[in-house]
Amino acid sequence: MGVVILLVMAVGVAAMLTRKLPTAFALVLLAVVIAFLAGAPLTGKESVLDTVLQEGAPALAATMIAILLGSWLGKLLEETGIAGTLVRKIVEFGGDRPVFVALGVLAVSALVGTVTGSAPAAMLAGLIGIPAMIAVGIPKVTAAGTVLMGIAVGVPFELPVWQFFSTALDLPIDTVRGFMVKLFPFALLAAVAYVLVESRRRGVEHTWSLKTVRARPPRGDRRRRLGDAPWYALLTPAVPLVLALGLDVAIIPSLLGGVLYALVTTTRPREMNRRLLRTLYGGFEVAAPPITLFVAIGILLAAVELPGAVDALQPLVKAVSPQNTVLFILVFTLLVPLCLFRGPLNVFGLGAGIAGVLVATGIYPAVAVLGMTASYNQVFGVSDPTSTQTVWSAQYAGVSPHQVMLRTLPYVWAVAFGGLCVTAFTEL
Amino acid sequence: MNDDHDLDLAVRLLAGTPTHEGRDPALLGQWARTASEFGRRMTLRHETVRVIERHETVRVIERDGGLEAGLFARYRSRPPVVEVYADTVARAERLVAERGWRHWFPEGSVRAAALAHEQAHAWLHHAPVRAEFKRALGHTALRLGRRRLYAYVAGADEIAAHAYAQAACGLGRSPLLLTEALAAAVSFESEN
Repeated sequence: MGVVILLVMAVGVAAMLTRKLPTAFALVLLAVVIAFLAGAPLTGKESVLDTVLQEGAPALAATMIAILLGSWLGKLLEETGIAGTLVRKIVEFGGDRPVFVALGVLAVSALVGTVTGSAPAAMLAGLIGIPAMIAVGIPKVTAAGTVLMGIAVGVPFELPVWQFFSTALDLPIDTVRGFMVKLFPFALLAAVAYVLVESRRRGVEHTWSLKTVRARPPRGDRRRRLGDAPWYALLTPAVPLVLALGLDVAIIPSLLGGVLYALVTTTRPREMNRRLLRTLYGGFEVAAPPITLFVAIGILLAAVELPGAVDALQPLVKAVSPQNTVLFILVFTLLVPLCLFRGPLNVFGLGAGIAGVLVATGIYPAVAVLGMTASYNQVFGVSDPTSTQTVWSAQYAGVSPHQVMLRTLPYVWAVAFGGLCVTAFTEL
Repeated sequence: MNDDHDLDLAVRLLAGTPTHEGRDPALLGQWARTASEFGRRMTLRHETVRVIERHETVRVIERDGGLEAGLFARYRSRPPVVEVYADTVARAERLVAERGWRHWFPEGSVRAAALAHEQAHAWLHHAPVRAEFKRALGHTALRLGRRRLYAYVAGADEIAAHAYAQAACGLGRSPLLLTEALAAAVSFESEN
């Protein structure tokens, strides 16, 4: 039966790769089929309806709330001009040295990446950051990659991601935080290397473009009337991080702290209620796709953790899972491309199910699975040409997502290798 | 009248450049004027430019596919190369003839302007020229007592490059006019 379940998973991956089914729908379908194959009854204890669908759907509720709060904070950063001001200041200070601008946008992207993820994070940093980099002479592919690499620097400190790994792998937040702190230097080193090496290799580029002169901007646009955010408001992205990392405050209150700080430092008291509601509703819109995905992942995790699924998969997965430290690093580093193109190791797809299998079958300790999945997440978040942030950044810069993948993959592959080394030597 | 229209085009270029959202149009106008003035002065008579020119050779290559990519020309610093898009240049020459603008843009001047434009970008990347340009624009990023740190004005180098091309090639109007007209023509042709 284990082989049949793996075959069904392969069909699910094929459906996602060929875009026959949206990832979230494919994961739910997979979960239901796996549950039936594992011999789960329709209702009752360890059943398809009551366990997989009813209990699985809200299993990652804390992550969903964290995602929503992150998106809310992201909307506030956008509406109050905090993100735009950060990029504008960087361009003004370092604009005649393109590499400084790229490093500055990288830093802003990292700050944004600690708050929110996917396309909204790329938009926050990239809407002004990408054209600003191109305007100072950074080649387009390098500019798109800089925003993505920057977001990936922030991901180890993205509080909703901590919450996700904590809930999905049943690990305390402290353990997740401990690993992420070890993963961060690799992400930072690779991102800075990307900017420096690519800037040196490609130099600067300027074009006489037909798009140079634009039509007159519409008057009366609210965002156009906004000025710079005050300097102390620019600290907003660091607030949740300081609360969670420095003061050990729980994730949801830390994010709420960020929301409140952004609000009081940028908004007049009589406008606060309207701005809070407007950005919260905007946050719901931004958070809808990831929340949908987390509902589906919760359902898939509930299915692969059913006793029947664990019994069927354990011997198979155990037979192919390396236990030797060096082999672990080697095999899982070579498997890195499988988290691209919505592949089977994509953490926000079937990879979550595979992680669930590895933990439920006891093949690796949960913390080792955390190390593996968090390392893969660094690759997926930057180079996957089907992930929303990569597609958005590439298209906004005027290049193809595949160009960005080819340029960034060596760097994030190295990050994954570093993360897997840390995992193998400390957690196996 | 023509100068005013060229200036308006330059202001629109700045207004459409990221980091200038919400900027006072009067300030953008002042920057556009200063950048144009700087570009016109940035000929080979310019001392710093003359020094750079002696040490740098920029290869020029002709390419196709410019209309599809929306490009007249591209400058790359590593290695120093200017790519001129022959199809865009040819279409621009036809447009000049169609509009009766030959007195502003003489035969062959579009290619020359493209080369001059990218040459200006190459010069503007050299530290002494950059510093002088920032001082001329006078936008302050930070002030500590009597000391000022001048800010970079995104988009201003593009205006300077166009102004240099206009002066160096003896054009009657800014190449920005040609840019706007060709963009409109290409867009109209692709829609019909």
